[in-house]
Amino acid sequence: AEPWPENAALYQQLKEEQILLSDNASSLAVQAFLQMCNLPIRVICRANAEYMSPSGKVPFIHVGNQVVSELGPIVQFVKAKGHSLSDGLDEVQKAEMKAYMELVNNMLLTAELYLQWCDDVTVEEITYPRYGSPYPWPLNRILSYQKQWEVRRKMKAIGWAGKTLEQVLEDVDQCCHALSQRLGTQPYFFNKQPTELDALVFGHLFTILTTQLITDELSEKVKNYSNLTAFCRRIEQQYFEGHEKD
Amino acid sequence: QVFSPALQSLLQAYAKFSGAPLTVNTINNLWRAPKGDLPVLVSQDIVISQPAKILNFLRRQKYNADYDLSAKQGADTLAYIALLEEKLLPALLHTFWIEAENYCSVTKPWFASRIAFPLSLYLPGKMSREALNRILLTKGGPPLYTLTEVEAQIYRDAKECLNLLSKRLGTSQFFFGDTPTTLDAFVFGFLAPIYKVCFPRVQLQEHLKQLPNLCRFCDDILTCYFRLTVSDGRQPS
Repeated sequence: AEPWPENAALYQQLKEEQILLSDNASSLAVQAFLQMCNLPIRVICRANAEYMSPSGKVPFIHVGNQVVSELGPIVQFVKAKGHSLSDGLDEVQKAEMKAYMELVNNMLLTAELYLQWCDDVTVEEITYPRYGSPYPWPLNRILSYQKQWEVRRKMKAIGWAGKTLEQVLEDVDQCCHALSQRLGTQPYFFNKQPTELDALVFGHLFTILTTQLITDELSEKVKNYSNLTAFCRRIEQQYFEGHEKD
Repeated sequence: QVFSPALQSLLQAYAKFSGAPLTVNTINNLWRAPKGDLPVLVSQDIVISQPAKILNFLRRQKYNADYDLSAKQGADTLAYIALLEEKLLPALLHTFWIEAENYCSVTKPWFASRIAFPLSLYLPGKMSREALNRILLTKGGPPLYTLTEVEAQIYRDAKECLNLLSKRLGTSQFFFGDTPTTLDAFVFGFLAPIYKVCFPRVQLQEHLKQLPNLCRFCDDILTCYFRLTVSDGRQPS
């Protein structure tokens, strides 16, 4: 295994004022993954993290002289350095893991994006004030509108633009139901050892549970499944207690 | 909505698996199809579009192919469907609607021959543009800057997805044992068009042919449930 440099850093937007639900979830997932691999990383908050990222998405990590963004590529990068959480899985389990990761991205992440950018109340009261907060008027508004236009275009292309909030929440419920069934009474998705799937699920569920939105509808959907909340608590205690809590 | 042939195969397969009596009507007048969306299920007075909703409707009417599945298997179904939509669908859309030779010599004439003039002049082009739009919006973006790079990535993803499906299927007849379920319908719906339609540019088909258990899976369903011979050049519709 290659040595992991001391000054490895993870970049995301400003935690208190700027970062949105979906980006926070993605960032937490990467942090959890790196903690699980026992690879220390510093979290650095920058207002322009999105623009610094090679793919335009957060979080991204700066390790040595390389910059890698998003969980998928980061998992590959870390694997190339000799660390992996999923080596112990057989081929069928690896296929299952990838499928469940797509499920989380397909349903949970898209639902988060929908809520942030397509639900008018949330957009007005939470997203607009937060997204452009580090910048002066009118730049803050322009950046928010631009991002909203981008997200809405994508939602339209995948068929989510026509959905109502109730339908989106139902999709979240369906996804949580599937995750809860798959987890069952095990401590992690593949029994004793956590994998990148656990990190991803933790990132999203923990963020949903702990982020204050207009209503509690989203977090209530997750709270319906006690094994999922226990799962989040377990990972929080094991990997984040005693460190800077995110 | 964008990709009718796969969805039609999917729905017909599901209907056959669950025993639902389903008559396929070729709609010749797309002006009257609600919102131009196909396929559409019409039952008594209810009109439903979109495959997920149609499957839910069939289930509520007690035509359920997943009756014997455990809760975990039901969860697995949802996960694998997400995998198909994320990793396989873009390449499928590309093969049918964007790859120039394929589109011009096979997809457009086939599609146009089944819908009325003058819609046949307009609709294929619209579906092609929507497919390209969808791929660029969901898969394009840095660090992939050109269409060629995006294409290379989506085909890589699709081949990996096919490999994963092959590993998951192993030597079983269907994905959850001996009887077909929703997941089998979905996989069949996506694989059958790749497997059966004769395109000039066939990189996905060639990759699929290297996975004999997936080919066997498609052939089994075609012969058992659709009573078709394996030599048919177009998929059933």
